[in-house]
Amino acid sequence: MDWTKFFSVLIDGIQLGSVYALIALGYTMVYGILKLLNFAHGDIYMIGAFIGFGVLTFFGGPLSPDLPLAPLLILMFAIAMIGSGFLGVAVERFAYRPLRNAPRIAPLISALGVAFFLENSALLLFGSQYRQYNGFELIGTGGFYIGSVKITWITVLVVSSAASLMVALILLVSRTKLGKAMRATSFDQEAAAMMGIDVDRVIVATFFIGSALAGAAGVMAGLAYSSIFHFMGFTAGLKGFAAAVVGGIGSIPGAMAGGLLIGLAESFTTGYMNGTWKDAVTFSILVLIMLFRPTGLFGKPEIKKV
Amino acid sequence: MRKGLIAAGIAVLVAAAFVTAGLAKTEVLAAPAKTEVLAAPAKTCDVSVGLAVPATGPAASIGQEQLHWAEFSLAAFNAAHKTKYKMVVGDTQLPNVAAAIGVARQFASNKKIVGVVGPAGSQEVQAFGPSMRSTAYVSMSATRDDLTNGQRPTFFRVVGSDDTQGAVDARYAIRTLKADKVVVINDGSSYSVGLAARFANVAHILGASVDLDEITQQETDFSALATKIESDVDLVFLPWQLATQAQTFAQQMKAKGKNAIIFGSDGLFTSDFAIEGAYVSAFARDIHGVKGTAALIKAYEKKYGKFGTFGPPTYVAMQVVLDAIDRACQAGAATRKSVLAQVKKTNLKKTILGQGIRFDANGDVEGGVFFIYRIASGKYQLVFPTK
Repeated sequence: MDWTKFFSVLIDGIQLGSVYALIALGYTMVYGILKLLNFAHGDIYMIGAFIGFGVLTFFGGPLSPDLPLAPLLILMFAIAMIGSGFLGVAVERFAYRPLRNAPRIAPLISALGVAFFLENSALLLFGSQYRQYNGFELIGTGGFYIGSVKITWITVLVVSSAASLMVALILLVSRTKLGKAMRATSFDQEAAAMMGIDVDRVIVATFFIGSALAGAAGVMAGLAYSSIFHFMGFTAGLKGFAAAVVGGIGSIPGAMAGGLLIGLAESFTTGYMNGTWKDAVTFSILVLIMLFRPTGLFGKPEIKKV
Repeated sequence: MRKGLIAAGIAVLVAAAFVTAGLAKTEVLAAPAKTEVLAAPAKTCDVSVGLAVPATGPAASIGQEQLHWAEFSLAAFNAAHKTKYKMVVGDTQLPNVAAAIGVARQFASNKKIVGVVGPAGSQEVQAFGPSMRSTAYVSMSATRDDLTNGQRPTFFRVVGSDDTQGAVDARYAIRTLKADKVVVINDGSSYSVGLAARFANVAHILGASVDLDEITQQETDFSALATKIESDVDLVFLPWQLATQAQTFAQQMKAKGKNAIIFGSDGLFTSDFAIEGAYVSAFARDIHGVKGTAALIKAYEKKYGKFGTFGPPTYVAMQVVLDAIDRACQAGAATRKSVLAQVKKTNLKKTILGQGIRFDANGDVEGGVFFIYRIASGKYQLVFPTK
């Protein structure tokens, strides 16, 4: 057994899984509150990647940035997260809110429509060519070794940023007034409204936070994997959705675990089998978990009173 | 709530402005036009050439160069022959085969188009086949060897085939670079699969240990693949069409401390792939070294700027089609049938590629050769052939 290879593939999987986990969190948060599958979420991730790239290019590009690295990265993340967050709010306001009391199929179709709208808008605005973050030029190919396993600074940045955002989200949901309102709205929207919670505001906040996390994931993907393009949100969105379902949709720890599991599955399939099999393996995991544990790894069965 | 919405709208606009401002600094291509007529109508033989290139998409850096050289060739031909032939551009968006099929159908339904230059990619040539049953189409960069297996009687190419490229690259990798352990990774495209197989076969015959792997053209994360490359691998051969993918893969290899030589095929001979010390093959020589091209290069660079190896074969392919149209026109009428007959009779004694152009019975250029370059200090150095 080549342990260096094993641990290197493990680290690659954790890095990829961190990106998927951030995307999955948006799916799971929206589903938890509205019971809506927001299929436009992957495309918000794509827009986040383009906003980050726009900021990077505005400040000189990866080869000769006008700003020192740390402030540049902070700006890229901040503007991408804010831009994506407000885009998510706009999507909720115009595509989902008017359909809140409609049959459940209506917002689902609306979500698909928004996804295509965003993809094609990006195609028209930015063209179909791949854009290069060139993260290795910006941050460098350096890193450090644990034994004989190299961990690059980009991996450190991606994993630590993702972990920080997840911890911040858990703290927000568990320890703040907004978090309490989110949990209450998720539990029973009507009762929450009767207790004086502004449900609309909670939903807006949920979309903003979920979309901001997707925006951050877009920047991370750009830095780690360099190429971004208008259709990148489709596959990543599906993987994020799969991660949310595997973890138990509606469960925040489940989305994180699901993201990591999908990332690791892809990485080990590429590392030990053939990269072309990775999607087949990923979605086989989804099917198997649905067959044997329909509520996902961390999901709880819905209790129905009779 | 309304104030919140207004604030949200403003923030989205600000973010969009940032993106647009940032992107404006990069070379943003015009929105893809389905077809675009570029020149004024001619007085006699009012016909057009279809040009199929990836003007947008991940291979746009190649497609733009091909588009510019096609325009340049058309202008030069019309000026020299006092003709007014026109060009209709179709954007194939390589590797989007559906877009290529759409372009082929548009060309087939446009009766003014009597000959086609392109498409650029081998899978696109396959996609064009059903719509080009009676129209000559001359590719400037499609190299998959079985495109000229006799099944496409209207297809021609002005560059050599992958049968030659795979063998030339493998011989250079094994004999000159002394690579004993090689990994060959195809990108799933029909061009790449065929070329990878040819390279692997020759490398194996020459005594190298060869491992095979595969990716898809939608892939952006190569970190696990880079990890998988063992540290004793001497050379990784990438017969890929998308240079941006190869650039990312090579950077991820480097970041993981893997020092295997990266050897790319002709698809990577673009500015998007710039890995120091890497090797790339090319189906055409750098025409700066070809006698008698100095004035032409100067005129081109004045109008369009610097170029690589994808442009000049497009100039020649356009020359082939225009020459055939003109001969058909002088003989009576330029129809698809008469132009096809004239393309088969092509006999250009001298071209800017440094060789003449004649086609064999299957549409292959006679005497097609490949060249190998090494990227050093950001420049291409010809390493094979040395003379």
